[in-house]
Amino acid sequence: MTDNRLGRIWGLVAEQAAVRGGRVSAGDVCAAAVAGIQVTGAWLSAARGGEAGHLMRVTDDLSERLAELQLTLGEGPSLDASASGGPALASDLADGESGRRWPVFAPAARQAGAAAVFAFPLVIGAIRAGVLCLYRDRAGRLSSVQLADALVFADTATLLLLDAQAQAEGDQGPGAGPGGQPADLGAHRAEIDQATGMLTEQLGVSITDAFARLRAYAYANELRLTDVARDIVARRLRLHPDPGPSLGGDT
Amino acid sequence: MDGQLLSETFVELTDTLVDDFDVIDFLHVLTGRSAALLDVSAVGLLLADQRGELRVVAASSEAARLLELFQLQSDQGPCLDCFRSGQPVTATDLGTDQRWPRFAAAATQTGFGAVQALPMRLREQVIGALNLFRAAPGVFDLADVRVGQALADVATIGLLHERNMRRSDTLNEQLQTALNSRVVIEQAKGKLAERLGLDMDQAFSVLRDYARSRNRRLSDLARAMVDGTETIPGPGAIRGQQLARAGQIRDEPRLGQEPRL
Repeated sequence: MTDNRLGRIWGLVAEQAAVRGGRVSAGDVCAAAVAGIQVTGAWLSAARGGEAGHLMRVTDDLSERLAELQLTLGEGPSLDASASGGPALASDLADGESGRRWPVFAPAARQAGAAAVFAFPLVIGAIRAGVLCLYRDRAGRLSSVQLADALVFADTATLLLLDAQAQAEGDQGPGAGPGGQPADLGAHRAEIDQATGMLTEQLGVSITDAFARLRAYAYANELRLTDVARDIVARRLRLHPDPGPSLGGDT
Repeated sequence: MDGQLLSETFVELTDTLVDDFDVIDFLHVLTGRSAALLDVSAVGLLLADQRGELRVVAASSEAARLLELFQLQSDQGPCLDCFRSGQPVTATDLGTDQRWPRFAAAATQTGFGAVQALPMRLREQVIGALNLFRAAPGVFDLADVRVGQALADVATIGLLHERNMRRSDTLNEQLQTALNSRVVIEQAKGKLAERLGLDMDQAFSVLRDYARSRNRRLSDLARAMVDGTETIPGPGAIRGQQLARAGQIRDEPRLGQEPRL
């Protein structure tokens, strides 16, 4: 069930990259989401940790306008999503709920031509990579299938953004492999999250970097992420700040 | 069932439904109280991630083996069946039940003989399940089942503490936020476990006790800890706090001065 969705979503994203003629990147998620979820437009901003995001991709002018509006006004679904760690779903910018939450943004967005906005934070717990936003020119909720797809688009964008960051910083390489589908984080999730936390202490790095190191180790050693995580949590495996992790639990 | 404890439980739970409450902590209290109130050994609460998986969000014990048992049910088990059907699912003898071979084997190995899953439902939408485990096989007491379902309903309401509980958008927002908060807590557990040389269960207790003693929301504290903007003291400082509370010493050790273990 989940595997099919992941594969299907990845296929849509990879297709966009192919159309563009480049390697798959987080920005490709925007166009793929527009096609796959039937929204009018999408935009993605990337952020490192708690910093304000910079706009990375827009699919049309109105997307750009909506992104700018939120920055200017200091309110909007993107900002709420970033702050709360959960999505902000405004199916109808004209309804009382939207008016209550974003008294200035909601009417301004409607005036610009948007009727619904859906913002998805790109997060893995305390790891924050940015926000993916979708808008529609007609009011209406995302169906449960569309919502599930949107969440997986967001997951995909998160991992692609983190990959790009890690590569830019010269880390050992992406968790996915060149052009490959990112690993499914769903299975045995708790250990992955716990191991990531443990690595912040073992390596003396941020949670974002800890996650990059965890994925890099799995990739470099051709191991499954969940297996590496389990070994770390069980204290059979320890990573070190220097290159070259050791096995066997020695300190 | 202890009638007094029953009343106190519901009062306590509804008391926490105030503006600034922390949903993960609330769900932990609920699972803990459920385990105390009902004739069961362990209680877990699973929520459906809209991507299609059941994920553990709270449990009466954070012991790894127990969490694993709850987690296993993402593939097969009473919780998954309960979630899909929206109906309670019971196994009165896991030793002989044929429905979920892998799950039943793991559960009996951990020492459980019977299990019950109760749906968490908001009108038509099933958002998760409350999972009760008992060591002894046998039927579940009817009163327990009724109270268990009522507790599952309180959990659902707790998730929707916002004013407008009728919108499914609000429900979906809250669910995802709660699920992400749980991830932050797992990350915090790992960080704390490594720093203080504890297992995950102990690390969770430290986190939670510290949040309560400082009157902080569990999720906020966990995030601050992972972000590095806050440090939770090591056992030396915690012992110092215990002594201070007992009135034996005046000052608490200053935070940040504990040796890293």
